[in-house]
Amino acid sequence: MTIGKAVRPEKQALTPSLGDSLPKSKGGSLHPLAATLTRLLGPRKVLSNLSERLNYRYDAIAFGATPLCVVLPESTADVVAAVKAARAVGVPIVGRGAASGLSGGAAPTEPGLVISFTRMTRLSIDPVRREALAQAGVITLSVTEAAKPFGLIYPPDPASFRTSTIGGNLAENAGGPLCFKYGVTGDYVQGLEFVDADGEVHSLTRDAYDLAGLLIGSEGTLGLITQATLRLTTPPQFTRTLMAHFAEVGQCAEAVSAAIAAGAVPSKLEFMDRACTNAIEDYLHLGLPREAEALLLVDTDGNDLETVEEERALVEAACRNAGGTVRRAESDAEAAQLWQARRSVSPALGRIRPQRMNEDIVVPRSVLPEVVREIRALGDASGLHLVQFGHIGDGNLHPNILFDPRTESLEAVHDLAHEVARVAIRHGGVLSGEHGIGSMKLAFMREAVDAGTLAALWRVKHALDPHGALNPGKVLPAEEA
Amino acid sequence: MNNDIRTHHPDGQGELMAHAVDACVHCGFCLPACPTYALLGDEMDSPRGRIVLIKEVLEGALPLYDAAPHLDRCLGCQACVTACPSGVPYGELITSFRGWSEPQRQRSPLDRAKRASILKILPAPKVFSLAARVGQFAKPLAPLLPNALRSPLDLLPEHVPAMQPSAAFTPARGQRRGRVAFLVGCAQQALAPNFNAATLRVLARNGIEVVIPDGQGCCGAAALHTGARGEALKLVRANLAAFNPDDFDAILSNAAGCGAGLKEYPAILHGLPDEAQAQAFAAKVQDISEYLGALLEDGELEPPMPTSRPLKVAYHDACHLAHAQGVRSAPRALLRAIPGVTVLEVPEGDLCCGSAGTYNLEQPELATQLGVRKAKNILSTAPDLIASGNIGCHTQIQSHARRQGSPVPVMHTIEVLDLAYRGEL
Repeated sequence: MTIGKAVRPEKQALTPSLGDSLPKSKGGSLHPLAATLTRLLGPRKVLSNLSERLNYRYDAIAFGATPLCVVLPESTADVVAAVKAARAVGVPIVGRGAASGLSGGAAPTEPGLVISFTRMTRLSIDPVRREALAQAGVITLSVTEAAKPFGLIYPPDPASFRTSTIGGNLAENAGGPLCFKYGVTGDYVQGLEFVDADGEVHSLTRDAYDLAGLLIGSEGTLGLITQATLRLTTPPQFTRTLMAHFAEVGQCAEAVSAAIAAGAVPSKLEFMDRACTNAIEDYLHLGLPREAEALLLVDTDGNDLETVEEERALVEAACRNAGGTVRRAESDAEAAQLWQARRSVSPALGRIRPQRMNEDIVVPRSVLPEVVREIRALGDASGLHLVQFGHIGDGNLHPNILFDPRTESLEAVHDLAHEVARVAIRHGGVLSGEHGIGSMKLAFMREAVDAGTLAALWRVKHALDPHGALNPGKVLPAEEA
Repeated sequence: MNNDIRTHHPDGQGELMAHAVDACVHCGFCLPACPTYALLGDEMDSPRGRIVLIKEVLEGALPLYDAAPHLDRCLGCQACVTACPSGVPYGELITSFRGWSEPQRQRSPLDRAKRASILKILPAPKVFSLAARVGQFAKPLAPLLPNALRSPLDLLPEHVPAMQPSAAFTPARGQRRGRVAFLVGCAQQALAPNFNAATLRVLARNGIEVVIPDGQGCCGAAALHTGARGEALKLVRANLAAFNPDDFDAILSNAAGCGAGLKEYPAILHGLPDEAQAQAFAAKVQDISEYLGALLEDGELEPPMPTSRPLKVAYHDACHLAHAQGVRSAPRALLRAIPGVTVLEVPEGDLCCGSAGTYNLEQPELATQLGVRKAKNILSTAPDLIASGNIGCHTQIQSHARRQGSPVPVMHTIEVLDLAYRGEL
């Protein structure tokens, strides 16, 4: 079963069908900003009906405020016009890609302008320089697809890579299973173009002050990235896949630590617990071991088959020593299936409870077994549904609290999330590996970052966005008076 | 997605819609699968966006007429169902919603007349055949007509074949191995009567006797998917009365849209007294390729004769077969069972061809864009033959392939098998 080939949205004018000649929304009169932008950009790029605006208030985890107006720019010039118009009337500006983010980054905290980049999809490959020039709305997967004929790939592979956009990946500095060996989105950026809070366009490379580095992962709070030059690389010739399952979550973490200590550098090291495995089984029916408390998926890759096999053998031995049962993927198809399973974990959890609080902690690998056990124990003691998965090779874990807001207390959910965050902080970890802080983890920032550093971050924010127009209410908790 | 739809709509359909909305975690995995999102690139015309719109309308926060254009553009292809890891029953949601919302729609008199005539003509093969013949002569006038009248004419083949009524009973050839009931379908009797003739021949050749129960009619899918729930309920109940599932090994359809419609009966009757009857009925429903595919798997399919020359067959997945019914491997396996046949995979194979029931008539512009794209994708594989399992896809692909200048024949999977049995492939 495949999710379907990623198709790039093509812009189309649309004649309303019969039956549409009826009154348009009465849901509030047209905001003056929408009128101005329609005059500047034409009606096709501006959404002002309630039915349209309602659909630009969420991402993959949170619902926010309904925007006053939505712009679908087709060029950097459109973005400039939109930013200037919004600033002139003093409304906040939120950038948005495919809204598959998991920290509330693209969900507005107050009514304003949403700039949705899904139509900025220009993409070109320079095989000699091994670079891709991608506008913000390019779908992540299409970069690799366009690079393939030249024998190149773009490694960052967030789970949502069929849906998510390069602009969104940059805003959140997205990672993926491959980041253990190959790095995250930010590691592939050679240069950026962005529009600042005043509507000025800037082009950056990574010399002098690494301002590009500051923009990457800033979640649209410092500027709006309109295009990027991305580094491409050659794909490894050989890949081998292995799956191991364990009777206890800590054993899985022990196997990971041992394998890496023994010298293996797998390209992917992913873990999911029993609840995740079962949610996936309900969706894909792959015959995964439903009884196991933890499942580990590993790829080793490279251009020397002997080394690739050796590394797999090292991981295999570490898994067995930790008490695991190992299965080798015998074909590319089997490996592909296992990885599709891993990519579907996050949304498949919706089968257990309709809502969730998603954590994105990173801890040192040396403390992994302790951390996953502590979090498991917190979950068991809370009476709530807590599950764990993540890029365990990086120490990047995603403990998720699944809940039903009609029957379970939001306060209890929040308390448990806070406890989980504290486990990470106590073991020398951080709050976000790849999904960003957004609005979801704002409350934990004061504990994770000391007051002096927070003040420095605020000074950066004030320097680049003096009026606080860009994605307010994200990343930084409000300054104390 | 939290909702309080159940409180607003306390009947069985309300419960069904609330469950579907609830199941959506708005992850966005459905976006790349959706044909209208592929064409339009905006959230309102994606499954995730439509679920939000449906929720807002059902909760009374958004007027129906504001959401309607976006919901009308949904083809109902259910590619999003395949893509959804959270298991949102989107097909049931959009169908129930259309049934709930249609009585409240304000439509122009021309629009109303068009919809009413589609629902009258489509389920009546004789009327359909007559209309098709008249239309055939009107075809040259098409460029002069308004869009509403032009689009149905564009779809008609150059030649409308004569009706071939199917016998009420077809005996098994050789040793009898099974007994099935067959739904003859509506439009395809008029447009492609050989589909049914080939189906009966292939079943008989495999030792399966076929009954065409009297009193059966349209499956109801067209009515249901255009929101005519009352009409659909009548058709559903007529079929439940005509087919006694206990009398047959299976109830077969050879039109993906109809088969998917039959399998939807339990959802249509959810919360009503005849729901259990619908479940027993739907449990027996299979697509013809599923049924024959099972024979093939058990090594019991009569082996087809080899082709006279190597034959490359591009197989097109009908949305109502692949996404709605989850039938993908069986038709491919049947084609591969013919010695000499290579099955080709079509680029963007999961993307709808744009036919989708009455979509061609209601959204001609989007339907055409998708049809052109599908024909290009299929023809890019340079096939000798195109096979598919649905009459709607068949006419759409045929018409767009012809317009792109391709003479490659388009056939039902069963027609290909039938020709192979007769040594004519």
